[in-house]
Amino acid sequence: MTAWLVRRLVASIAIVFAVVTLTFFLMALAPGEPLLGPDERQVDPEVRAELRRQFGLGEHPVVRYFKYLRQLARGNLGESFSLHRPVADALADAIPQTLLLAGTALLLDFLLGLALGVYQALRVHRMPDIVLGNATLFLYSVPTFWLALILLLVFGEWLRWFPVGGVGDPVLCPSVSSLYCAADRLWHLALPALTLGLVGAAGTARFQRAAMLEVAGHDYIRTARAKGASERRVVLRHQLRNALLSFITLFGLAFPFLLTGAVLIETIFAWPGMGRLATNAILHRDFPLVNAAALLASTLVVTGNLIADLLLATADPRLRVRDTA
Amino acid sequence: MTVRTWIALLGALVLAAWAARALRHRAARSAAGRRFFRHPTAAWGIRVLAFFIVVAIAAPLVAPFGWVDQPDIVRLQNQPPSWTFLLGTDVYSRDLWSRIVFGTRISLIVGALGMLVAITLGTVVGAVAGYYRRWVDTVLMRGVDVGLALPRIFVLLMAVALWDGLPLGLIVLLIGATSWFGTSRLVRAEVLSVRERDFVSAARALGAGPARVIFRHVLPNAAAPIIVSAALGIGNVLLLEAALSFLGIGVPPPVPSWGNMIADGAPYLATAPWTTLFPGLAIALVVMALNAVGDALRDAFDPREEAT
Amino acid sequence: MPSPGRLVLVGAVALLAACERPGRCTGEYCGTLVFASVGEPDILLPPSTQQVASRDIEEQLFLKLADIGLTTNTVGDEDFQPLLAERWEWDGPLTLVFHLDPRARWQDGQPVTASDVAFTFDAYTDSAVASPYRAALRRIASVKARDSLAAVFRFRERYPEMFYDAVYQMRILPAHLLRGVPRDQWKTAPFGRRPVGNGPYRFVEWRAGQAIELAADSTFFLGRPAIRRLIWRFTPDLQVAVTQVVADQADGREALYTPENIARVRAAQQVTLYPYRGNSYGYLGFNLAANGDTTQPHPIFADRDVRRALTMAVDRARLLKSVFGDFAKVPPGPMSQLWWIWDPEVRQLPYDTLLARRVLAARGWRDSDGDGIRDHAGQPLAFHVLVPTTSQTRRQYARLLQEQFRAVGAQVEIDEVEASVHTERAAAGRFDAILQTWNNDPSPSSGVTQVWSRAGFGGSNFLRYDNPAFDRLVEQATSAATPGQARAFWRGAVATINADAPAIFLFAPDNVAAFHSRVADVRIRPDSWAALLRTWRIPSDRLIDRDRVER
Repeated sequence: MTAWLVRRLVASIAIVFAVVTLTFFLMALAPGEPLLGPDERQVDPEVRAELRRQFGLGEHPVVRYFKYLRQLARGNLGESFSLHRPVADALADAIPQTLLLAGTALLLDFLLGLALGVYQALRVHRMPDIVLGNATLFLYSVPTFWLALILLLVFGEWLRWFPVGGVGDPVLCPSVSSLYCAADRLWHLALPALTLGLVGAAGTARFQRAAMLEVAGHDYIRTARAKGASERRVVLRHQLRNALLSFITLFGLAFPFLLTGAVLIETIFAWPGMGRLATNAILHRDFPLVNAAALLASTLVVTGNLIADLLLATADPRLRVRDTA
Repeated sequence: MTVRTWIALLGALVLAAWAARALRHRAARSAAGRRFFRHPTAAWGIRVLAFFIVVAIAAPLVAPFGWVDQPDIVRLQNQPPSWTFLLGTDVYSRDLWSRIVFGTRISLIVGALGMLVAITLGTVVGAVAGYYRRWVDTVLMRGVDVGLALPRIFVLLMAVALWDGLPLGLIVLLIGATSWFGTSRLVRAEVLSVRERDFVSAARALGAGPARVIFRHVLPNAAAPIIVSAALGIGNVLLLEAALSFLGIGVPPPVPSWGNMIADGAPYLATAPWTTLFPGLAIALVVMALNAVGDALRDAFDPREEAT
Repeated sequence: MPSPGRLVLVGAVALLAACERPGRCTGEYCGTLVFASVGEPDILLPPSTQQVASRDIEEQLFLKLADIGLTTNTVGDEDFQPLLAERWEWDGPLTLVFHLDPRARWQDGQPVTASDVAFTFDAYTDSAVASPYRAALRRIASVKARDSLAAVFRFRERYPEMFYDAVYQMRILPAHLLRGVPRDQWKTAPFGRRPVGNGPYRFVEWRAGQAIELAADSTFFLGRPAIRRLIWRFTPDLQVAVTQVVADQADGREALYTPENIARVRAAQQVTLYPYRGNSYGYLGFNLAANGDTTQPHPIFADRDVRRALTMAVDRARLLKSVFGDFAKVPPGPMSQLWWIWDPEVRQLPYDTLLARRVLAARGWRDSDGDGIRDHAGQPLAFHVLVPTTSQTRRQYARLLQEQFRAVGAQVEIDEVEASVHTERAAAGRFDAILQTWNNDPSPSSGVTQVWSRAGFGGSNFLRYDNPAFDRLVEQATSAATPGQARAFWRGAVATINADAPAIFLFAPDNVAAFHSRVADVRIRPDSWAALLRTWRIPSDRLIDRDRVER
């Protein structure tokens, strides 16, 4: 077990290193002006030259790479070109927002998806299953940002049930100071989290339904049924437990999503999260921010996978032996 | 729409229905085919796909306008659906129905080619990892883990950033190059289970090289998940292309793809919702059909499935 | 599973909490305005940023010595309004003395002195600060503090816009707070995220990605601002920002950009529209040098007659109507509506596709292989147009122009690239044709010179347009002794550039602002809409919930 863990850790660190290096050179070689804003103002070549010098862009990419590694080793993530502040500050502002949105969406996704999947499996091939099946199929197949635009139009502008974008009411509640403001935050969170959560739940429900139906055919279920256990008990104990194992795998995959966020949703709903931050950084060629985002994302990915594998190994002893890595 | 195009459209519907029915009859001859068509959604999926394929082939017949025609950029902008413009016009006064019809070609081709690239890459990587195991497997699969978990938009954006401007072929290639990770996992699992079987050991004992063993003995038995992956993969490529177009990187104008039609229409959602609604519905329909077909294929290939 | 009773309790508390109505402000100084802003500032330190979003907020925090009036006249000094300087006098043809208002204070209590002015000039012109405004100040030789309230500007030469150059670009900075910051670190100085100024509003808070809040300074020496709180709320998608205005979740925007947005806002009852002259213009520029090689002429566009023919092939008025509706004008040359040199009578090329086709044929461009595209000596009349993905207007124009050119046998492909790539390729000359927009200062002098004359080579003159006659006329115009003479020279210059047709001047939009109807005394200065925010007010009988909230 320990040997396996050590091997995984080494591999994980290597992966993170590889991702950061790849990102660094991709960005360094990519065409695009990193320093001058696109605000359609006249370009002063002297200013541009001075800025390039100040931000160290004149040197060879390999030299800059090693300087960056040295800087990382000292714990300094650098200064953002486009935001004019330390990268760590920008990340610190964006991460909680993404955690909130993605966390809520994932919660909705799992709970709703699990419930729907189980319900569908219990009523398989009957009317509720068919209706829900088509609904989840639709939600799973639409472009998420298109759904977001339409929901925002219908519920935000036409019906005025939800606010139109933003994290909270800037007038009344600049910070969460009362129950009212907490409720206001939830109200702003509702539409984007619902959009993401519904689409995710659709996928999870389909997956769960299939998993439970597959498990239903296994011998031990039939044995339990033959022994006279009630239908409900059979379902709740055996199918759920095995289905939950696959859940854990899903969680491991979804963990990085928690911090990288849903880019287009964040843009449409004006949610200042990591997804939007990283995308804008790539589009503006903000090298320090992109590199930091890549570092963060890859670290989370390998951590998530590690946690998922550990959980799975603890939950299902059979898997410990079978893992070839 | 003109009389000619209405007739062509009806013809397309009839042709699609007939093709679907013919396929069903053909499939009824095998147990897998019967299992496939047990799902009512699968049958509808086949019909929808057949319709879109027919429309794509017969596009010039079914579309009353060209996909680049701008009849009157001042007076016919953003017009709601009418008898002349079946699904309305967009902000350049282009007929939406014609663009969706021609866009079917682009979207289906982008989807199919992108999926092909993804499937090929995924199969090769998965087969190599599953066959050789040990270090090759570890390295490849850890890489796949990262690829699976990193958000595709980021990876694509960074890959796209390397080029000044993107020709269509490159977009397809890049989408395919970022979509193969799931397939590789599936293929690896299949290869792992198949490689222990007797006929594989026999082939190796007879001196067959690894490539021959993989391609002639292992992969054909692993075909099922690959095919399912392919069906589902086209849908993912379509959704990804739509997202890229919304971000401004996608099929270059004026070539219509459903994704860049949504992007073109998004600024006018409140006053001219049809410009965004119909391309989105088109994507949704095709992806739904592909998902339904993929699911049914998975069940059809899996003999352990029983009706409960 | 929580019991029903507990659910009811939670629901009741939530309901009560939701009914909470904080805020009891009454009177004339209560208003709160929420602006639905698309761009977020990068930094709030005036010399370090050119972003429009930053400038709007800096208008409230930092004062200039004087500012232009509503007429936006930049010549002489009669139309300028005193701000930090209460009066000024000319001490000789090249010397200008400003007398600061003794009441002016920094928001930390220190008085504003002439040494602040000298420090500001030093910072703006320091190459380590790398301020984009440095070039605009090059005709000022020095700024010194004669005493604590008198700042002396010395110029290198005499020209009509001396006063404008002295006051318009610089916002006076607090020397005592910024002296200690190393000059090459100004771009990322913490002061830029927590600025301390001397203007009508104080900085309150900047929630990254969400909003910036300012509060009125009740002791402001030029009069207490009537609107108590200003909040800029950042929404990256323009449509969503407009939706916020329509749904009464924001009080307005400074520009709506498209006829659809204008129609939507017009339909909303609680908002009033305020159109004003825009300060930008856009054009399709032809690269006179080869794509990617500035030493060679362009195979298609080096020919002046071909450029003229392509210009005549475009129905500019119709394209304008399709994209902007009634809220823009076709510019008579490289100018925005804001510039006083706007002259619709100046000679321009007409819209005449027949003439265009004749000229193209006469210059040897004929369709020899029947594919609908003209060619000449093996080179097809085909080129790429570079467009940034971030500009909806230019993307629209690109598609419309594609069709216009197709009708005369030219094949156009659209290169939609990210904004950063657009900037880079433009500066490097790696394009055939480019759709470019400029946001301009109120004075044409620097704008025209930097973009269209030889001095702009390597800078903003991407097309490498080089006509010595044009350069001479512009130079004479900017140094002319009287406005009448200047106007004549400008007319000649514009006629020259129109005849050369290095670009097709396509649009000079109106900006249409939309603000809540309850706001009175809305004054918008066309070059900077937020410059006069401190004079707006909300009458006490029109207060709504937003206004009453105490902070």
